[in-house]
Amino acid sequence: MVILDHIQKIFHQDTPNENQALNNLSLKIEDGDFITVIGSNGAGKSTMLNAMAGVFPINKGKIVLDGKDITNLAEHKRAAFIGRVFQDPMLGTSPSMTIEENLSMAYARPRNMSLHWGLDFYRRKIFKDYLKDIPLGLENRLSTKVKLLSGGQRQSLTLIMATMKKPKLLLLDEHTAALDPKTAILVNNLTQKIVYKNKITTIMVTHNLEHAIKMGNRLIMMHKGNIVMDIKGEEKSTMTIPRLLNKFEQLQGEKFVDDRVMLA
Amino acid sequence: MLQNLFLKSLEQGLAFGIMALGVYITFKILKFSDLTVDGSFPLGAAVAASLIVSGHSPFFATLVALFAGASAGFITGFLNTKAGISDLLSGILTMTSLYSINLRIMGRPNTPLLNQPTVYAIIDDFSKKVWPLFPSKHVYLLFFIIFALFIKVFLDAFLKTQMGFALRATGDNPQMIRSQGVNTDLAKIVGLVISNGLVALSGALVAQYQGFADVGMGVGTIVAGLASVIIGESLLGGRTVFVSTLGVLFGSFLYRFSISLVLSFRLAQASDLKLFTAIVVIIALTAPRFRQSLKLPTKGCESYGNS
Ligand SMILES: Nc1ncnc2c1ncn2[C@@H]1O[C@H](COP(=O)(O)OP(=O)(O)O)[C@@H](O)[C@H]1O
Ligand SMILES: [Mg+2]
Repeated sequence: MVILDHIQKIFHQDTPNENQALNNLSLKIEDGDFITVIGSNGAGKSTMLNAMAGVFPINKGKIVLDGKDITNLAEHKRAAFIGRVFQDPMLGTSPSMTIEENLSMAYARPRNMSLHWGLDFYRRKIFKDYLKDIPLGLENRLSTKVKLLSGGQRQSLTLIMATMKKPKLLLLDEHTAALDPKTAILVNNLTQKIVYKNKITTIMVTHNLEHAIKMGNRLIMMHKGNIVMDIKGEEKSTMTIPRLLNKFEQLQGEKFVDDRVMLA
Repeated sequence: MLQNLFLKSLEQGLAFGIMALGVYITFKILKFSDLTVDGSFPLGAAVAASLIVSGHSPFFATLVALFAGASAGFITGFLNTKAGISDLLSGILTMTSLYSINLRIMGRPNTPLLNQPTVYAIIDDFSKKVWPLFPSKHVYLLFFIIFALFIKVFLDAFLKTQMGFALRATGDNPQMIRSQGVNTDLAKIVGLVISNGLVALSGALVAQYQGFADVGMGVGTIVAGLASVIIGESLLGGRTVFVSTLGVLFGSFLYRFSISLVLSFRLAQASDLKLFTAIVVIIALTAPRFRQSLKLPTKGCESYGNS
């Protein structure tokens, strides 16, 4: 279980650019939750994920994971139990290293500063088996450098790397937004398959309202650094896009504006 | 004469090649523009020379030199990652301090090693025993070939370990490797420690080879190292670590060989060499762009010193 307890994040504090990106936000994530997150541009979705991953310190509040306070734990230490996939396909992998070398770093997590060989026969075999799961033909290209892969291939690889050692929490930040629609579907299917098969607690930010409604067991909407809607169970499974937009307008008294949002 | 020139350049190329391998670790692998090198090279020379003169075994002296260089690398890494000073400035600060430290270590600007035991003299004695007919004048060459290749193989192996991967990823995509649980500050420090350890080792060997240590011998080390890395990469490419490190040693040899040629044909005098080298590096750094604008294939010299 993960608890965000009244967290606050202010960028550029005490400057003219001061910007309260998270505003006393609280959220309780149950084990096995698959939460989709929507919200207009600048609502603080990425900031919430970054705060959980420890990219920056937060100004106020507490982050607790399985009863342990991790508010002040360094980013690379949280990586032992948090897996991430970013929006930019360039961010999740090391481009000038090969597919198998990238996988090896994920496989060794969190003990990946050891003097153990990065690759051996046994590991290569495991990596092949992982890659067979995705219909991209990567299992025969283990020694290809990642910079030669397409965006979809990289995101699939990053997803495998993020979940290879089952994380307690998987953070997906619009990880299909930069892909063409066909590839996005492929990566989304892979996401569902991995998340359900391994029962990984997941938070997925998306701009695609249809995905947000169809995927996962819980949907939250963010606005101005806070959570303004949190639906689950039957309310979620019977939700439609028009009702979602309607609900937002009722809550906020303003239209859900986001030029990037995909309604279908 | 040309043959002699060739063999001498091979000796020097390999001796300085160990330094160039260190430069390869920081500039190419970590993408960290480390200028500590100009100070850690003479540091290695100063430490080794002083210890030898005061009667210590040359092997022990060389080993201590290596550790001294490693400590210098640690200081630069610490300044950069913990004190938040930029990579260039951290290196410059360490390098500048080392100038005074090297003078302190030697107690004077120059320590001659003539008639002192060196690692080569010991190896020569040893080889005389096992192989009496072995020509003494080739003992340097034999030593440098074996030793430089040993360091290369060792470095290759290190870069294939989990820690080696972490270092490579730290230079390539720090955000990614942090999200895989690596402390990138630590990875940088480890890289700088190994790099400057090798540079000082090279300095210690060069001092014993040329018969003296001098506080001024570090000037331009970084440029020579970069030249070697660039020459190697543009000739052999950088597909794998194995090829890259081989390219560095080969580049170092070519660099020394071209310098010897220029000097022996009196195309320039020794004092022009630093200028000559800097121009070579400038050309090499801009060449990929030339090739790009001419739409010729490049072999990826995209990332020197602009981190
Ligand atoms: N690293 C940062 N530095 C300064 N401001 C930031 C940073 N990251 C986000 N912000 C600001 O915080 C607010 C929330 O941003 P973000 O979390 O990226 O929104 P979302 O992901 O919901 O589109 C925005 O106003 C954004 O400009
Ligand atoms: Mg965002």
